[in-house]
Amino acid sequence: MTNRTFYKVGRRPWEVKGHPDGLQERKRTRVPFTRRHWLKWRDSHNPKNLQRERVLADKKPLWWAIALSLLVIVTPFLPNSMISTASIFCIYAAINVLWTLIVGTAGIFSLATLAVVGVAGYSAAAANVYLGVPWPFMLLIGPLVGFIAGAVLAAPSTRLDGLYYALLTMGVAEICRVFVVQLRALTTTNGAITQVDSFIPEAWFLQRPGLLLGFAGAFCLLLGALLVWRLVNSERLGLLLRASRGSREDESFCEAVGIDFRRARLQVFVISSAALGVVGAFYAMYYRSISPNIFSLDQLLLLFAMMVIGGLGRAEGAVLGAAIVTLIDKGMIELGPLRIILVAAIMLIVTIFAREGLTGARDQFRDFRKRKAGERRAHRTEKGGEAMPEEAVDVRDKQELYYRRFNKRLRDRLKPMITPELIAEHKADPLGHHSDALARVLNYFRRAEMVDKYVIMRLKDGEEAYRIMAVSGVRGMPPRVVDDKEYQALNDAYHAVFLLRVNDLLES
Amino acid sequence: MDLGLVVYALNLAAIYALMAIGISILWSSVGMINMAHGATFAISGYAAWLVTGALKPVVAATFGKTVLASGVMAAALVSSALLAGALCGAVIYALAFLPIHDKPNYPVRALIITLALNIGTVQGLLYFFGPRNQGLPKIFGFGRWEIWGAKIRYDQAGTIVGAAVIMGLTLAWLRYSRRGLEVRAMMQNAEGAAYSGISRQVTALPILMLTGALAGMAAALLSQTIFVSPTAGVVPLVKGLTIALLGGLGSVPGAMIGALLIGFLEAIVGAIPFLGQRYVMSATFAFIILVLIVRPRGIGGLLDDTRE
Repeated sequence: MTNRTFYKVGRRPWEVKGHPDGLQERKRTRVPFTRRHWLKWRDSHNPKNLQRERVLADKKPLWWAIALSLLVIVTPFLPNSMISTASIFCIYAAINVLWTLIVGTAGIFSLATLAVVGVAGYSAAAANVYLGVPWPFMLLIGPLVGFIAGAVLAAPSTRLDGLYYALLTMGVAEICRVFVVQLRALTTTNGAITQVDSFIPEAWFLQRPGLLLGFAGAFCLLLGALLVWRLVNSERLGLLLRASRGSREDESFCEAVGIDFRRARLQVFVISSAALGVVGAFYAMYYRSISPNIFSLDQLLLLFAMMVIGGLGRAEGAVLGAAIVTLIDKGMIELGPLRIILVAAIMLIVTIFAREGLTGARDQFRDFRKRKAGERRAHRTEKGGEAMPEEAVDVRDKQELYYRRFNKRLRDRLKPMITPELIAEHKADPLGHHSDALARVLNYFRRAEMVDKYVIMRLKDGEEAYRIMAVSGVRGMPPRVVDDKEYQALNDAYHAVFLLRVNDLLES
Repeated sequence: MDLGLVVYALNLAAIYALMAIGISILWSSVGMINMAHGATFAISGYAAWLVTGALKPVVAATFGKTVLASGVMAAALVSSALLAGALCGAVIYALAFLPIHDKPNYPVRALIITLALNIGTVQGLLYFFGPRNQGLPKIFGFGRWEIWGAKIRYDQAGTIVGAAVIMGLTLAWLRYSRRGLEVRAMMQNAEGAAYSGISRQVTALPILMLTGALAGMAAALLSQTIFVSPTAGVVPLVKGLTIALLGGLGSVPGAMIGALLIGFLEAIVGAIPFLGQRYVMSATFAFIILVLIVRPRGIGGLLDDTRE
């Protein structure tokens, strides 16, 4: 075969393909202590040259790795204020990822996320300040309190509908705020606990090394949240819940096959609450204090805006939204109240145009393009011509599809040939030597299908009286009479059949 | 319990009922949780403030200090608030309903859009008017009646009467007009209404304008008691939402009963010496949480059960 240049055509996404040595054995490393592989490589063969090929079926881990490593590499070179913005981004992204686990995976519309963070943070801070517990133990007290808070909050979640539960959790947050503000011991600090011990040494606090250390901690927190996300969402619990998510019927189906999805939901809720407790303890340590601000509705709405902008129910959406909103909220402080308006405007625009936030935009665009292509195809297709895509799937003999397409093109070429002169020529001599155009038209007519093919019937033997019939095409079914016209000469009948067929051709 | 407390409770209940009924009607007919209701409230308050501020010298020059002057001011205040509320409703219709009402995920997206509108409006008002409280002219005048030893302020009485009149008008409109019939049909069964030829797109606009006007009325009435500020809408929104949920979303009588319950609860909790005003919100939420745990579908569910 000579060397030929192949051009990329069509709309299939371009894949990076590896070409492993066909003689070597295939080997893939596994994640330690599990049966998972690091990357989703799929082996295949090129059907043309039979070479072995590898395709990365799921490229998401690559994007995650690129984005997170960029964050780690760039942050140490940023000015101090941007480092703290990056740390806050990590904390918010961690909270959002865990919240996504509750809202998306478990399907519980809880607004008490920040309340759980706050309660755990307050408990850990109080244990440190008033009981003298050293700071590493705060990271144990936090999840413990979060676990308990999650268990208490999860109890009514199966009983209440979505919105009612959202309201209840909002109420819980408000009650927590009022309780903390009213505490007698904290009145001097407006309800805040200060002087919390931290993993950042006191001398470094708000200095560059302290900020960098804080960022390192926050980044580890984000990694931990993503790990929890992966372990819960993509393993057994997530699979169980995915089966029950779609609709009421799915829930009934799950009950029928013995999946206890309510229990799974509660488990996910409690696990994420415990993880949120860790975030709470970290939050108190990072700021060396914790204030009732964390229970406020504004904070909650800001976090909600992050999730919505990125895309509800997706981890990448939670992180992307956190990045955008934190950059606007903390990175553009000089804008004042305008930056909240900006966040609201982004939220509005994204929600009006994207059905699942920014991270769902790509899929939405592909669906849109597919739909438009289908519409265009339907527009092109006239009746009896090309098969519609859904019909084409049903037709087993694909030759049929090509035949139909060919026929359509043929008809399109023949239609302009039908002129009054042509009809007159046929009328003058139906069987004689014809012009090229008429010969082509007649040739097409002769190859017509048996169904509804016109035939001429002699009414009585030996008499010149004819009628036109149409064959049924089905064995045993008699032909039907087309009209009640009688023709006295055979040539007239020939011409009548010709006119009928011309009529059919022009109508098709 | 003395009469003053009852009047105070009814005063609260009237405002809450105006907000809650709007949210409730909107949810059951259009299928939208309107988080921008608070924004509508705040904008109506500011519109009334601007209009009355502009009209004050004109009215004073024309009518002097007569009863007629205060009547004109009252009419201007109420009508400007109602109009601004209705306009806000139309804006919400154009942004949160029209573009997405036939798209996937509509209820959640509508909630998010109205929430964004709410946040944006509060911050926008803060940006333009500053955080200062603005006082509106008192249309009911200052003073109080003494009835059986209890003191009833004019504005409280006016609020209760005004809210009752507006609610009565709304319910009558729903009951007797052709458009109200369509709205009620949509509230009962949106799909069935669509099958019998009631257009969702056409009917949603008057519903949104009506509920916006209700919020505007609530703003006009509440401005007689407290001041207008950018964040004035947040508390009525949260209260209205909680009461609408407590009443069982979509049930107008449930919302009214809920408003009465919460009004009395707040009045009583506020009057108890050692609890005081600070615990009002917590007490409300605790009460609602209790009710929801006992009756997961709210009071309206209770009414439905007895009907069945």
